Amino acid sequence: MLITRRAALLAAAAVPTFAIGRARAAETMKIGVVSPLTGPVAEPGRIQLNSLRIAAEKINGAGGVLGQQIELIVEDDASTNPGAVLAFSRLAERKEIVGFIGSIRSTQMNAMAPDMLKIGKPVMFGGTDPTLTKLGNPWLFRCRPNDSYSGRVIISFITDSLKLKKVALVHSTDAFGTGGKNAILANLEKKGLQPALVQGYTNNQPDFSPVVLAVKSSGADVIVSYFTNEPDCAVFARQLRQLGIRTPWVGSPSIQSPVTRGLAKNALYGTYAVADFVEDSNPTAKAFADTYRAKHKESPDSGWTYDALTILAKGISDAKSTEPEKIRAAILAIKKFNGTEGEYNFDQFGDGLHGYNVVINNNDKIDYKEHIEFTD
Amino acid sequence: MSDFLQLVFQGLGIGAIYALVSLGFVLLIRAASVVNFGQGEFSMLGAYLLVVFFNILGLNYYVSIVLSVVIMAGFGLIFAYTTYWPLRFRGGLPVIISTIGASIFLQNMVLWIYGPSSVQIDGLFESDGIQIGEVFLASQYLAIIVLAAALVLLQYLIFEKTLLGKKLQATSQDKEMASLLGIPVVTMIMITFAYSSALGGFAGILVAPILFVSVNMAGIITLKAFAANIIGGYGSIPGAILGGLALGVAETLGAAYISVPYKDAFAFLMLLAFLMVRPQGLFGEKISEKA
Repeated sequence: MLITRRAALLAAAAVPTFAIGRARAAETMKIGVVSPLTGPVAEPGRIQLNSLRIAAEKINGAGGVLGQQIELIVEDDASTNPGAVLAFSRLAERKEIVGFIGSIRSTQMNAMAPDMLKIGKPVMFGGTDPTLTKLGNPWLFRCRPNDSYSGRVIISFITDSLKLKKVALVHSTDAFGTGGKNAILANLEKKGLQPALVQGYTNNQPDFSPVVLAVKSSGADVIVSYFTNEPDCAVFARQLRQLGIRTPWVGSPSIQSPVTRGLAKNALYGTYAVADFVEDSNPTAKAFADTYRAKHKESPDSGWTYDALTILAKGISDAKSTEPEKIRAAILAIKKFNGTEGEYNFDQFGDGLHGYNVVINNNDKIDYKEHIEFTD
Repeated sequence: MSDFLQLVFQGLGIGAIYALVSLGFVLLIRAASVVNFGQGEFSMLGAYLLVVFFNILGLNYYVSIVLSVVIMAGFGLIFAYTTYWPLRFRGGLPVIISTIGASIFLQNMVLWIYGPSSVQIDGLFESDGIQIGEVFLASQYLAIIVLAAALVLLQYLIFEKTLLGKKLQATSQDKEMASLLGIPVVTMIMITFAYSSALGGFAGILVAPILFVSVNMAGIITLKAFAANIIGGYGSIPGAILGGLALGVAETLGAAYISVPYKDAFAFLMLLAFLMVRPQGLFGEKISEKA
């Protein structure tokens, strides 16, 4: 076969065109993820990342977003604030990223928030410090109920269901714990009650005996806790029981996580917790948990990253654009959307959820008790 | 009063842990003039070995402890050959940096093998503890206090009553002179590394049922143990013990009666106070004597 110069030139010209066509088809919708792959909170980080991948597979299986497949770009925050800032700055350098999945840690969100404001792209996050969505930063969208709701639900459950009034509050002194403390104190005040004890502690303590004895001598009839790290919660629980304290205990979500229960064992039996993710609380959560179990042979303890990616993808689809302002408007317009964590109704501040479930630890089995939702 | 006694007991328990880790520091400072920032990782590795032998392989608890401690002694030799030996003539700082590097390496290696989850492990006794009046003595803390005291006694007997102990002491006091007297200085230093590693591993095994086994389990304890070493007197064995116990009791009482959030600060304030007022610590040699 004779190849003419003209045919060869045409063929040569066609190669790059074909290559560009292929490259376009392979282009993906990139979502940046700041996640603890190493450090003390790497264990919940692993579950959050698995959940994200399940969401990405589901979205991609249904055709992706705006005709593109979702690709997750993950950076390790090393479970620290400087690590989170560094991880976000590495992601922020990549102009092709259209949105981000931030941290479940309020303290890390506070550290990254100024950079997130500068970048000006939507960030879905799970940190529950109420002030995060009141910073005047329009790019933060919360996919878990904030602590003002956990505080309201805890106090409402204690006073209305348990009929108790004298609260000993134990909290971490980091942003999460302090946010929780402020929410509890504000809600106690609304009910006209004074706390019997307000006791802060710094994370990663080997011994909680001073805190346990303070609880004991406070005369409280119920303990409320905001623990950030699971081992701290487990050490406190064991010392509490060793020193003979059987006071009812209502805690923030970490008290019922599989990690904490695995460490504390029977020291947490009979305790109550507010929980954003409860498998039996709605059909979306149940379906997600079944998928997760089939894939990873364990039960998930949260679903917020699954919701975060699903909502971000919906925002981009509804906006029919990757322009940050349009995605933002589309996310804020999301109402009555069923997620694993509950029904999302985004308010003007970027909070999607406005209530909590209450659960009880029945001999290591987490049973759903009630859901308390607020509309104001 | 019962609360005060309870706090003193808890303080002594946690202080005994600081003392054990601090003892590991001191031995290496004396024998090889090495400040080993990988000491905490010895504890972490010891605890993980117990997890392997007891939780995973299902061996008897006490057999698991013995095996873990023996392996840690061997690990001390590997640590010495890789971290200390190539840099032994380069002065203190390169060795310190080398131990910090080894510490980061060990943490990440364990993270890679075992993952980030904390692991729960049984204590030495089935019973949680004993109740005396209103004071509860947790069995694991009791065991730590008793075993720390026994180890100090054993160490005293070895160092003061045996020929090996005398050789180790001679090496730590003046390596050149010891060498001239025919003492195998290198062997003595290696024995010290092995013992220090075994001791660190044993401290980790004792503390594991209280703090759980994780990559980061020894972080704050190592810092406090180092502070205890300064407070007790840099390089002093009785100083390490008393410094650890004093630090444990002071921070527990400080937390209970002054402020819980500033608990860690009390330990380091105590360290600062000693550095300003009595830099040689409780049992240290006067700095001027060293000049």
